[in-house]
Amino acid sequence: MSQVSREYKVMSDKIKLVEINGLHKRFPIKKDILSELSFKGGKITREQEQVHAINGVSLTVNKGDALCVVGESGCGKSTIARTVMNLISPSEGTITFAGKRIDNLTPKQLVPYRKKMQMIFQNPYASLNPRMTIEETLLEPIKFHFSEKNLDEQRSMLEHTMDSVGIDPSWGERYPHEFSGGQRQRISIARALSVDPEFIVADEPISALDVSIQAQVLNLMMDAREQRDLTYLFITHDLSVVEQFGSHVAVMYLGTLCEYSETQDLFDQPLHPYTQALISAIPNLHGKTEHIKMTGEIPTPVNLPSGCVFHGRCPYANERCKQEVPKKLEMKPSHFVACHGVEEGRL
Amino acid sequence: MSLLEVKDLRVSFGMRNGDLEAIKGVSFSLEKGERIGIVGESGAGKSVVAFSILNLISKPGFISDGEIKFKGQSLSKMTEKQLSSIRGNQIAMVFQDPMMTLNPVLTIGVQMIESLKAHRKLSDAEARKESIRRLKQVQIPSAEQRLDQYPHELSGGMKQRVIIAIALLNDPDLIIADEPTTALDVTIQAEIMDLMLELCENNGVSLILITHDLGVVSETTKKVLVMYSGKIIETGPTRQVIENPNHPYTKGLIKALPQMADNGQRLNQIPGTMPTLNKIPPGCAFNPRCEFADDKCRSEMPELIAAEFRSVACHKFQESTK
Repeated sequence: MSQVSREYKVMSDKIKLVEINGLHKRFPIKKDILSELSFKGGKITREQEQVHAINGVSLTVNKGDALCVVGESGCGKSTIARTVMNLISPSEGTITFAGKRIDNLTPKQLVPYRKKMQMIFQNPYASLNPRMTIEETLLEPIKFHFSEKNLDEQRSMLEHTMDSVGIDPSWGERYPHEFSGGQRQRISIARALSVDPEFIVADEPISALDVSIQAQVLNLMMDAREQRDLTYLFITHDLSVVEQFGSHVAVMYLGTLCEYSETQDLFDQPLHPYTQALISAIPNLHGKTEHIKMTGEIPTPVNLPSGCVFHGRCPYANERCKQEVPKKLEMKPSHFVACHGVEEGRL
Repeated sequence: MSLLEVKDLRVSFGMRNGDLEAIKGVSFSLEKGERIGIVGESGAGKSVVAFSILNLISKPGFISDGEIKFKGQSLSKMTEKQLSSIRGNQIAMVFQDPMMTLNPVLTIGVQMIESLKAHRKLSDAEARKESIRRLKQVQIPSAEQRLDQYPHELSGGMKQRVIIAIALLNDPDLIIADEPTTALDVTIQAEIMDLMLELCENNGVSLILITHDLGVVSETTKKVLVMYSGKIIETGPTRQVIENPNHPYTKGLIKALPQMADNGQRLNQIPGTMPTLNKIPPGCAFNPRCEFADDKCRSEMPELIAAEFRSVACHKFQESTK
C-alpha cells in the first residue's frame, strides 16, 4: 500500500465523517386503491405492498476512507448512495455528516451540506444536460455555492477544475454529445469536484466505460483523493475494482449488510459464504478456476425471506439460518460479518 | 476443411459523404468444436464481424468485400431463403441483452416451438417435449411451467438461460455469442459461462465469444483475436496472448485491468480513446495512443504477420524480432 493510504489509515481512527445508523428504506408498490383494501377482523384495512430496499444497515465512513459497497443488482447499493445524499429520505434510521444529523433537514438547511457532499452518477450520457454547454454545466454549481465571488474568480475556479480532470478549458463551448463516454465521465467528476467537496458518493462511475477508459477514470479519482483529501463512498458491482480502489468494503445482499472489513483483509480471508461466492465468481485472467455454485435465485425484496436473507442460496444453511436473523459480529478487529455459520465456527 | 472461414472481410456503412469502412479486412478460421474469443473495446468492430457472419448487417451497412465460408459454402453469396435455413439452425446466435432478445408478448414456449418448427417437421406436442428437454438441459427448474410464462416473469439470468436453450434447440454446429453476460451480475455470469462451456464441450459445438472482458475470454476460449479500429491486431492461443502480449495495445489493455495493479497504486492507462470511423489516423490506427510510435507507424499500415501460432500487426514488434 502506498504511503499516502497509510496516513489515511491513521487518520481514519479519529474522525467519523458519515454515519449511517439503522437505515431502512421501503418503497411502496403503487396499485389502485381498491386492490389494496381488504376485509380483516370485521374492519376494512388498507395494505400496501412494499419493496424492502434497505433493511437495517449501519455503516461508518471515516475521513479519508474509500468505502466500497458491493453486491448484485437489486441489493440496495444505489439506494444507500441516494439516501446518504438525501436525494431520497430514509423510512427509518438516521444519517449524520460530521456529527450532525442531515436526514431530517429541509432543502434549504441542506444547502451548506450540498457543497460538502457531491455525487457522481453511473451513466455519463444521462447525467449531463444535453442542452447545456460544458461550461454552463460546470459553472452552475460554482455560481450557486460561491455566489460571493465575482465572475472572473468563478471562471478561474472552473478552469482550474477542468484542468485537474484533464479536460481542456477551451472545450467549454462544446455540448456533451461532442465528447466520448470517458470524457463525459471526467466532466461529471469535474462537476462534483468544482465546489471543493469533502465527501463524494460515486454510483458505479466506471461501469459504462471501456477497460482502458476505466483505468483513466479510476486513476483520476485516486489522484483527486490524494490531492484533495477526499472521502469516497464508492458503489460498484465489480470486485476487482474494489480491491484496487477501496480502503474498506461493505458487502450487501438483499438490503442487508453481510460483511464489512478493510479491503485487503476481505480479499485475503472472506468470511461470509456470499462474499466467498462473489469473489470466486470474478473471471480469472489466468485460466479456468472453480466458481462456488450458489443454489436458487435472488429472492424479491417484496417478500423478504425469514431468518438470514441469504439462506435460500447458501450451501451451508441450516434450520437456525432459516429462522433467526444473524447479528453483525466483529470476528477480528474491524472485520464484521453477519452469519450464523461463522459465529458457530462451522464455516 | 474448417467449419468457418472468414477471408478478408470488409464491411462499410454508406454515409451521406461517402462510405465508412468499419471492418478493414478481417480473416480467421474456426475448426469444429473450437472456441475462439474476439475482444476489443466498444467501436472496435467485434459485433459487426459477428453480425456479418450471418449477413445480419442492416442498412446502411453492407459487406463490401471478402468471403465467409461455412462448411465450404459461401454464406455471403446465399439468398435470404438459404440463409434462413442456416440461421438458428446450424449457426445460432446469443445476443447481449436478454431483456431485448425475447419477444415480450409471447410465452417462452411459443418462442421455442416457433424456432423448432421453422427448421424441423414436428408436431406441437413433440416440439413442446423437446423444448422442455432443452430447458432442463440449461438447468431451469420446473421447466414445464416456465414454458407458459412470459419473459418478464423470469430474472435476467433465467432469460439468458432460455436464450441459450433456444440457441441449442436445433443442435447447431456454431454458436455466436455477442457479449452474452455483460448485462448480468458476476455470480450469474459465472453460472452462465460455466453452463455454456459445458454444453459446447459435450455437444461438440464451436463458439465465437465476443466480449470486452479478458477474464471471461481467458476462462472460456482456446484462441483469441484482439480487434482495434476494425482490424485484428493480434491473435494467438488465449493463454499466451494474455500472459505475454506482443502488441502495445494488448499490453496496455491487460495492464489497465485493476487485477494487474498493486492495490492502491495507480493503474496503467492507455492515453486517449479509440478513434471514430471518420477520424482514423494514417498508418497504424493505434499510433496516437502508442508510446513506441515512430514515423513509420504514422505513415504505413502494419500487416498482420504470422509467426508460429501467433500473429501481430505492429511495425515495432516486427522490428524487434528481426
